[in-house]
Amino acid sequence: MIKHLKILEFALSSLWRRKFKNLGLIVVFSLIIFTLSSIVFLTYSFKREAVAVLKDAPELIVQRLSAGRHEMMPVEYMKKIKDIPGVGKIVPRLWGYYYDISTGGNYTVMALREGLQDKISLMEGSFVVGSGSCVVGRGVADARFLDIGSIMPLIGADGNVRRFRVAGIFTDESNLLTNDLVIIGEKDFREVFRIPQSIATDIVVQIYNPTEVDNIARKIKEALPDTRPITRREILRTYDTLFDWRSGMVLTMFLGAILAFVILAWDKATGLSAEERHEIAILKAIGWETSDVMELKFWEGFIISSLSFLTGLIGGYLHIYFFGASIFSPALKGWSVIFPEFRLVPYINIYQIAVLLFFTVIPYMAATIVPSWKAAITDPDVVMRG
Amino acid sequence: MNRETVIRVEDVSKCINRGRPNEVWPVRGVSLEIERAQCVVLKGPSGSGKTSLLSLIGCMSRPTEGRILLHGRDVAKLPERFLTEIRRNTFGFIFQQFNLIPGITVKENVMLPLYPTEMGLTEIKTRAERLMKKLRIYERRHFHVKGLSGGEQQRVAIARALINDPEIILADEPTAHLDTRLSVELIEILKGLREEGKTLVIATHDPLVYEQGFVDRVVEMRDGRVI
Repeated sequence: MIKHLKILEFALSSLWRRKFKNLGLIVVFSLIIFTLSSIVFLTYSFKREAVAVLKDAPELIVQRLSAGRHEMMPVEYMKKIKDIPGVGKIVPRLWGYYYDISTGGNYTVMALREGLQDKISLMEGSFVVGSGSCVVGRGVADARFLDIGSIMPLIGADGNVRRFRVAGIFTDESNLLTNDLVIIGEKDFREVFRIPQSIATDIVVQIYNPTEVDNIARKIKEALPDTRPITRREILRTYDTLFDWRSGMVLTMFLGAILAFVILAWDKATGLSAEERHEIAILKAIGWETSDVMELKFWEGFIISSLSFLTGLIGGYLHIYFFGASIFSPALKGWSVIFPEFRLVPYINIYQIAVLLFFTVIPYMAATIVPSWKAAITDPDVVMRG
Repeated sequence: MNRETVIRVEDVSKCINRGRPNEVWPVRGVSLEIERAQCVVLKGPSGSGKTSLLSLIGCMSRPTEGRILLHGRDVAKLPERFLTEIRRNTFGFIFQQFNLIPGITVKENVMLPLYPTEMGLTEIKTRAERLMKKLRIYERRHFHVKGLSGGEQQRVAIARALINDPEIILADEPTAHLDTRLSVELIEILKGLREEGKTLVIATHDPLVYEQGFVDRVVEMRDGRVI
């Protein structure tokens, strides 16, 4: 034990002797880990958030398509869906997008429907949405400086401004669902967007037996060929793919930097300097065993790589969960999202951290130890020759 | 007085780059015996094989042919781990180029051979301080070796060679980088070690060394052979 502590002490002294070179290596290594861990944390958090959000999502949503694009749906389609065995409650939904010229933001406007109040909680105010009142998300409230009792104007499809009193604001915890959401009464919705009573945006279908979802989706498609049934599982898979694709895109952007670091680390680790080789030969000559030299080099590699790894990992964690992922968030969230930020809930996947460790720290240490081993097994006789 | 033979070299040869166009035999068919507490000088011009023979005796390389017996034990065939243990426990090396580690202090250089042992740091420090005082480099203990004079560096190298209290001291051209005054100082140190009962094997072509009275035997070498 004492021996190992002394070798560790010498390793620290050895690193300090080449402090500028090692500091440069730590900075670059940390930046690489920072980038990779930020992407990993953010992607994983978005995916987990999506899963959490969609937990209460309908099992099946039916939309109408026209020339491959989403179209408004006749409410009478509900009759054919109702006839399919296994189908429970069917609820038509009214929702759409509203571009707010004054803030440059896109809001999701939704008509209040049965059961919505059970799924989303308010921070303040009430969920009573009568004619002329609305409930807004935190992002909308912040963008428009709204409070309970404030007036939220919406310009209708006819060009007229309709004013809605803010009755409630959604909680921060529900931000992913509600950040850009505006809920108004059904009658108001149809007036603002000039949508007749016979039309809905889409239809939500409740299925009694979750294992029958795909089956029923198929039957709906057969009964209504111009519709697209979307299952909850498909939405989750889409989000998974989307975030994987986006994180891959960001990684590709940084590929150049990652490769540069790999080359730097490889060059540093595989080509021992003449000074380092001479030092190893001296240690062998004065009685250090090959295993002692290897332990020394192990500690040097371990200290550099683990210090860099921890620094980069902690930096990535702080960047994502305390500083709002300001660097990578736009790339991963997408640019169609309303600009007010929402706070991500920290999610750490030990498996992903282990993978990151395996593909960074371990190769670096191997690249450090192997050339040292080659020098350490050389006869120290070379030292005698100067 | 019959002394125990500590080192026996039996018909030892060393080849470098065997089978290649640049094949060299720095040592050829050398045999000799060295007794306990003896001072033996390997004398010869540059390229005579003194350093190579010293390296073989000190278990820093293996002979191509022949045997080297240390207390009757053939060390040439031992695994590397055992050779290192012998180097650490039996020999103290004083290199021609000093071969100190430049970025660390005098004290750290002196202590270095005992780092990979189970000896406590306190004991190692005590030993190091005693040696540094004896060799008059104690005041320089916190200096980096780069800032020392040649003579001071040589004394640090000697202190390092003695830290493990070796039985046998091997010195390769110890006066090569010293002026006469410092050479005389060094010779006094070597004489003192000889009087303590250490066995000395010195490779040199400096008459200041091999003409000293405490030298028991001078072995002349030329072209890798003993003449």
